[in-house]
Amino acid sequence: MFRSQIMSRVELIVPEHDIVAVTEALAASGVFQLTQTGHTGGERAPRYAGDWQDRVPVFAELEQRIQAVMADLGVDEGPPPAETPHLIEPDVVRIDVDRLEHETQMPLRDLKEEQGRLDQLQRQVKQLRTIIDLEVDLESVRDMRYTFALMGTMPVTNLERLRTSLEIVPSALVTLRREEHLATVVLFGTRRDAEILTRAARSAYLNPLQLSESFRGTPAEAIEALEAGVERARQRIEEAQAAIDRLSDLRREHLRHLLWRVRASRTLAETIARYGRLRYTYLVAGWVPTAKLSPLEQEVRQASDKVLIEVETPHRRGDESIPVALKNPPIIRAFQGLVTTYGRPQYGEIDPTPMIALTFPLIFGIMFGDVGHGLVLLLAGLLLASRRVRSLRGLAGIGAVLAVCGAASMIFGVLFGSVFGYEELIDPLWLRPLAKIMDVLLVTVGMGAVLLSAGMILNMINAALARRWGQLIFGHNGLAGLLLYWSLLGLVAGGFVDQFPIGASTLTALALVSGTAVIFSEVLENLVEGHRPLVHGGLGSYLVQLPIELFEMLIGFLSNTLSYVRIGAFAVAHGTLGVVIFIIAGIIGTEGSIGYWIVVLLGNLFIIGFEGMIVGIQTLRLEYYEFFSKFFSGGGARYRPLTLISREEE
Amino acid sequence: MIGWWGASSEMTGPGAAAYSLPHATVRVFYSRILTSETWQALIQAQSYDAVLSILAKTEYGDYLKIERHLLTPRRAVYQIRWHVADLYDKLINLVPKPARPLLLWMWRLYEVDNLKAILRGIESGAPWSQVRLLISPVARHATLNRADMQRMTESQDVVRAIGIIEHTPYYHTLIHAVERYRDEGSLFPLEVALDLEHGRQLWQSIQQLDGQDHQAALRVVGGQFDVNNLLWAIRYRVYHNLSEQEVVNYTLPYGHRVRDEDIRAIAAGTDIMQVVKRIYPNLEGLKPIQEDGEGVGTLELALKRHVVQLCHDAFLGYPFHIGLPAAYLLLTEYEIQDLTVLIEAKSTDLPLSVFGPMLVVEPPAYRAD
Repeated sequence: MFRSQIMSRVELIVPEHDIVAVTEALAASGVFQLTQTGHTGGERAPRYAGDWQDRVPVFAELEQRIQAVMADLGVDEGPPPAETPHLIEPDVVRIDVDRLEHETQMPLRDLKEEQGRLDQLQRQVKQLRTIIDLEVDLESVRDMRYTFALMGTMPVTNLERLRTSLEIVPSALVTLRREEHLATVVLFGTRRDAEILTRAARSAYLNPLQLSESFRGTPAEAIEALEAGVERARQRIEEAQAAIDRLSDLRREHLRHLLWRVRASRTLAETIARYGRLRYTYLVAGWVPTAKLSPLEQEVRQASDKVLIEVETPHRRGDESIPVALKNPPIIRAFQGLVTTYGRPQYGEIDPTPMIALTFPLIFGIMFGDVGHGLVLLLAGLLLASRRVRSLRGLAGIGAVLAVCGAASMIFGVLFGSVFGYEELIDPLWLRPLAKIMDVLLVTVGMGAVLLSAGMILNMINAALARRWGQLIFGHNGLAGLLLYWSLLGLVAGGFVDQFPIGASTLTALALVSGTAVIFSEVLENLVEGHRPLVHGGLGSYLVQLPIELFEMLIGFLSNTLSYVRIGAFAVAHGTLGVVIFIIAGIIGTEGSIGYWIVVLLGNLFIIGFEGMIVGIQTLRLEYYEFFSKFFSGGGARYRPLTLISREEE
Repeated sequence: MIGWWGASSEMTGPGAAAYSLPHATVRVFYSRILTSETWQALIQAQSYDAVLSILAKTEYGDYLKIERHLLTPRRAVYQIRWHVADLYDKLINLVPKPARPLLLWMWRLYEVDNLKAILRGIESGAPWSQVRLLISPVARHATLNRADMQRMTESQDVVRAIGIIEHTPYYHTLIHAVERYRDEGSLFPLEVALDLEHGRQLWQSIQQLDGQDHQAALRVVGGQFDVNNLLWAIRYRVYHNLSEQEVVNYTLPYGHRVRDEDIRAIAAGTDIMQVVKRIYPNLEGLKPIQEDGEGVGTLELALKRHVVQLCHDAFLGYPFHIGLPAAYLLLTEYEIQDLTVLIEAKSTDLPLSVFGPMLVVEPPAYRAD
C-alpha cells in the first residue's frame, strides 16, 4: 500500500501470423504497458500491402465515414463494449459502410431539399414582411417600363454613403423602414441609369428584394401565399425526418458495434505499427506488474504457443522510465488524485496516498468542524461519487474525498458541539474553539510538529530505500535535521513547561551536534556516498553559504511549524462565522421570522460553499508545501496499460 | 495650460497619473525595438539561419525557441507575430479604461485578417492544419478564438462558417454581405464589408476619446487610417476599375488629413498624384501613377514610411496619452511586416536589390530611394 507495485519488463518475440491474437490478448489483460521498441537493427522488412502502418489511415477514414452516417442519423456512440472487439478487415467494413451511406443518402437528400425550399420561402416571407404595410401591387413595381426601382435591405451605416455616391446621378433613395442594423429602402431612378444605380446599390450592400414572378397582389397577399408553401414544406420535412428516424432505430446497434470494432482495429494497427520488426517476427516490449505476470503469460500462450517470453525484474531504484502502478485499497484510492496532482511517486519511492488519506480529512475536519455542514458535504460527496447526475459525472473523482471530509467535519462538529453554526444545540465532547482559542492554536501547532516530523521520517525511509545513507543521516530532512528540529522544539517547550524531562544542556548539545551535521551535510553526504568532489562551486562560496543555509533552515522550521496554526485559526473562524450569521439574522428579523431563517439558510450555504472551498485549498496547501516537501519528490512515469478501447481514465 | 499630473481646462481624459505606468512600460518597450545595427546585420545576413541567430538575441528570441527543424520560414513568421499579440494583451490591460476600445479595435484588424484567411481557406478547400499557420496568434482579448476558427474551417462552407461566429462583432456585417457572396461566388464583398466595418469601428473608437487622447489618437491611428482609406480608393480605381459610385461606397467618409472630398475626387477620376500632393506636400520620391498600376507600390511604401515617422514623432513632447502605446504597437507591426519580408527573402535567397525597397522601417541608409 505504501509503495507502488513491483514491475517486470517483458519482451515477447511473436511470429508474424500470431501478432493480432497476441496483441488482442495483451490488450484484454489490461495490465501490459507497451514501450516503444522501434524497428530492430538489421534488414528492414519489405513493405507489403498489409503493412500495419498503412492500415491506420484506412481504418481512420472508415471510422470517420461511420461517424458521419451516425451524425446524419442522430446516433451516438453509446458506451464502449464490455468486451474488446476483434480485428475486422477493412474491405469487409468498406462494403458495409457503402451500403449504410447509400441507404442514408436518399432520405437525407429529401430532407435537405425540403429544408432548402423552406429556407428560401422563409427568406422571401422575411423580406416581404419589411414592406407588408405597403398597398402596392408587386407586379406593377416589378414590371415598370420607364422607371428603375430597386427595393431591398441594406446596412443602416451605408445609407448616407450610398446617397453621397449618387449625388450626380438623378435618383432618390427612400427609406421605408429602419431597424437597428438594417434599413428597408427603395432606390428610384431612370431606366437609362439602371446599370449605374444597380452597381452603386450593390456596392452599398443593398440586397435587392427578389420580386419573384409568382408574387401576386400586395405584399400582404404574397406573404399569405408563401406561408401556405411554408406549411407544405414543413410537412414534407416531417415525413423525411420520420424516415430518417426509422432508419436510425433500425441501424443504431449495428452502427455502434461497427464503430467500436473499427476503432479497436485502428488502435490495434497503430499498436502493431509501434512494435519492433524482424523479418518474420515482431518484438514486443513492455511493463507488467510482477504479480500479474503469470496470468498474462498464460493468456499470451493461449493466443500463440510459439511466443518467446523474456522477463526481467529490475531493482527498485533509479530507473525513471519504469511506470509506477499505485496500489491502494478502494477506500483511500480517491485520495490518489490529490497525490498525482502534485506528482506521481517515482518507482520505489513511498506512495504518500495513505498518509494524505489520513491527514487530509483530519485537517479539514478540524478547520470545518460542524455536524450540519459536514452532513451536507457528506451527502454532496456521496451524490457525486454515485454518478447519478449525468452532468456531474466529471466530478465523481472528488465525490469520495468530499464525503470523507464531510464525515470528518461531522466528527469534529460533535467534538466542538456545533450544528449549522448553533453552538448551544449539543454539548461539545472536547472543547468549543471560540471559548478556548489558545488551546486550539497550541494543539494545532503540536499537530504540525508531529506531521513535519513524520515527513522527515518518511524522507529517511525513502533515503534508505534508495540506499542514500548520507542523505538519511546528514540530510536537512534526514536524521540530523530531525534531531535538530526536536532539540529546538524541546528547548522552546522547556521554556514553558516546568520540569521538562530533558535538560536544557542536553538539548543544547544535541542541537549543536545535529546543527553542525546539517550545516556540513553536503560534504558529509558526498563523503559517505562516495561522490566527488566533496564541495561543488569552490570552498570559498561554500563557506559563505553555510550560515545563510543554516539561517534559512531555522526560519523554515519555524515557518513550517507555525503554518499549522492556520488549522486552529480556521477552526475559530468557522465558529465565528456561525455567530456572525446569527447576529445578522437577528438584525434582519426577530428569531423565528422568515427573514431570520432566510439569513441563516443563506449564511450556512455561504459557509459551506465559500469557506468550505477556502478550507479545502488551505488543507491542500499544508499537505503540498509543508508535508510533501519534506519527503516527496515525484516525477514518476504513469502506468498506462494497453487498451484497444479507451475507457474512463484512472 | 496642461498640468502634468491631471486634466486641465483644455485637457480632459485620463491624465498623467493614469498613464504613468503605460508610459513607463511603453518607453521600456520602445527602447527594445530593433536597432539600426540589428537591421544592418539582418539585411546583410548570409542565410535564413543567420537571420534566426540574430533574432534569437532580440525581443523575438523567446518566440523562436522551438526545435530548429520545426522552424520553417512560415513557422518563424507565425512565431514572431506572437510578440505583437502579447504586446496588445499587455497594453490593453495597462491603458486607462476609456482608451481600451481604441487598442482593441486596432487589435481586431488581426481578427479581420484571420477571418479573411479562414474564408479563403474554405474557398480553396484547405485543411485546418494549413490554415492555422496563416492566421495571426489569438490574443486574450480576441472575440474569435482558435476553436471557432477551426470549426469555421472544418465546416467547409462559407455560409455555415459565418453562422458559427454569431457571438462576434463581425456577424451582422458578414451575414448581410453573404447574399452578395451567394450571388457573385466571390469573397470580395465579404472582405470589403469586413474592412469597412472595422474602419468604422476604429474611427468611432478614436472619436470617443477626449482631450489629449483624442488628439494623439487622431495623429497616430488617424494617420494610419488615412493611408488605408486613400490606398483603398486608389486600388479600387486603378486595379479593379470600379465605377465612381462603387469607389465611394467601398471607402469611408472620414479621416484625419484625408477628407471625403479627396476620396471622391479620386473616385471621380482626378489625377491621383495631384490629390496626394495636396494631402501630403512633403512626400518625396513618388512616381506618377499609370493606368496599369505602376507607381502605386512606391506611393504605398512612402505612405507607410510617413506613418512610421508619425509613430516616432509621437514619442516627442507631452507623453501621457494613448498616442504612445498606439504608436509603439504600430511600429512593432511595421517591424514584423519587414521581418516577414526579410525572412521570406533570406529563405529564398532574394538579392538585396529586390527585397530592400520593400522594407519600411529600416534605417535611411538602406532605403532604396
